[in-house]
Amino acid sequence: MSHLVKAEFRRLLSTRMWAALPLAALLLGGGLMGAMALIGPENFDPPMPGLHTEAGVRSILGILGYTALVPAAAGTLAVTSEYRHRTAAVTFLFAPRRWQVLAAKLATYGVAGLAYGLILAGSAAVAVFAAAAFRDVPLGLPAGTVLGLLARIGLAMVVYTLIGIGVGALLRNQVVALCVVIGYLYMGEALLMMIPGVNHLYPILPGGATAALTDFTYLADAMSQRLGSTPLQLLPPAAGALLLTAYALAAALLAVIIPMRRDIT
Amino acid sequence: MSGDRQTIDISHLTKRYGEVTAVRDLTFTVEPGVVTGFLGPNGAGKTTTMRMLTGLVSPTSGTATIGGRPYRRLPRPSRTVGAVFDASACHPGHTARDHLRVYAAMGGYPDSRVTALLDLLGLAEAADRRTRGFSTGMRQRLNLATALLGDPRVLLLDEPSNGLDPEGMRWLRGFLRQLADQGRTVLVSSHVLSEVQQLVDDVIVIRRGELVAAGPWSRLAGASAVLVSSPDADQLATALLASGEPSIEVVQAGRLRVRGLDAPGVADLAAAHGLRVHELVTETSSLEQLFLDLTTDKAVSP
Repeated sequence: MSHLVKAEFRRLLSTRMWAALPLAALLLGGGLMGAMALIGPENFDPPMPGLHTEAGVRSILGILGYTALVPAAAGTLAVTSEYRHRTAAVTFLFAPRRWQVLAAKLATYGVAGLAYGLILAGSAAVAVFAAAAFRDVPLGLPAGTVLGLLARIGLAMVVYTLIGIGVGALLRNQVVALCVVIGYLYMGEALLMMIPGVNHLYPILPGGATAALTDFTYLADAMSQRLGSTPLQLLPPAAGALLLTAYALAAALLAVIIPMRRDIT
Repeated sequence: MSGDRQTIDISHLTKRYGEVTAVRDLTFTVEPGVVTGFLGPNGAGKTTTMRMLTGLVSPTSGTATIGGRPYRRLPRPSRTVGAVFDASACHPGHTARDHLRVYAAMGGYPDSRVTALLDLLGLAEAADRRTRGFSTGMRQRLNLATALLGDPRVLLLDEPSNGLDPEGMRWLRGFLRQLADQGRTVLVSSHVLSEVQQLVDDVIVIRRGELVAAGPWSRLAGASAVLVSSPDADQLATALLASGEPSIEVVQAGRLRVRGLDAPGVADLAAAHGLRVHELVTETSSLEQLFLDLTTDKAVSP
């Protein structure tokens, strides 16, 4: 098993994804957060509450949660590129107990997702505090709370990486799997929120659970306001965290079980 | 490990994909110490059989074992079996060295093995180039290097001549011969008989997933024969017999089937004795004929 983890690390470190992931984390964490904090949510179109309010801080942190599609896509690629480049057969020849291969990928990409989340959250913290200081705006939440929320977002990135691996193992086709993962996280959940009846599911979907982590209700509120429906009630943060962990476990289980009996042709 | 001889046993192996039966009740053995050709037209079930042997495809029924064990039960499979099924199996963003190092780690082999195989397969100069720029032949060699990482006792190659130039094919022949001489088990599939006839000792021929022939090449191929039509057939037969080597069969009046001497040999002998020859035909060997029937006669009912 340790051989397999070592092999997966070598595989990850010798592709360009290795350099692209930390770069994406820096751009989205430091870059996007810094830009939003510098401009100020009150100057967005439509305007959102400013950084001096609690809702304003939670909002821009919540938006950071939506960048989870990046680690999710990386997880998906980790599995599907083996099928796309036809190395899956070679890999399963070296390791016929296929669940071990997927377990090694989960472990490796779990670490990669954690590194991604740490860079994302760390650079976002630096950017937000620096921008607030530069604009001389007192943040609407204590610094400790902001850091805690960012840490939650960072950890959520691990969950999304694992979900990506699960979807990749299930669908195997790289283009289809990427479209599903990115499409769902980018647009799918937002669309679901617009469907009456279905939108009550939002709090228990991965996006709703992620929003619950930071108590980011702005998007959901705006949506229900526009549709004239009753506001959606997000789960408490702890329940959101538990639910996300359950999603990660389910995805991991899926990833490990599904390839067992399938023919590799 | 060097004295370890592994026999491949395929027993009543069947694979059905819905309505289609890709492999039907197939039984044969592959012996160590020889190169065995696994022959049949495209779509005969060669690849499916080799993938069932290595656990990539689950059989509908029947068993396939290596040294008495199914592939998935081998303690360290890459040490026992090396297989190349897909010449292009490599990530385009990886260099040849990256690719080999990933699988060296997976099998628990040292990096020195990676360097040794890059040298052995003539990839040393291309070792640090990304495989996206590789030719088919280079990828083929990279995949062969991957299969050889564990110095396996059994080597399985699916259509290795695809993408290899004549020089590469000659090298491969010598290399596989060397492996077989070391007592290893070598199974090479091909849909082109002429590509492997200089290479193989034993052959297994399948068609539509069923066994057609199996055994040593020399027995299955039969000695090639020359058909001679001559108004002087009797004198020619006497002359041929006097020359020692050939055996002669009288097909009909004025027609002889000669074995042990080729067409130019027969013609020269006839000329030397001043005998007339009206027709001289080299008969294809029985295996060649069998293979030709398999590949050309698509109307044969299963």
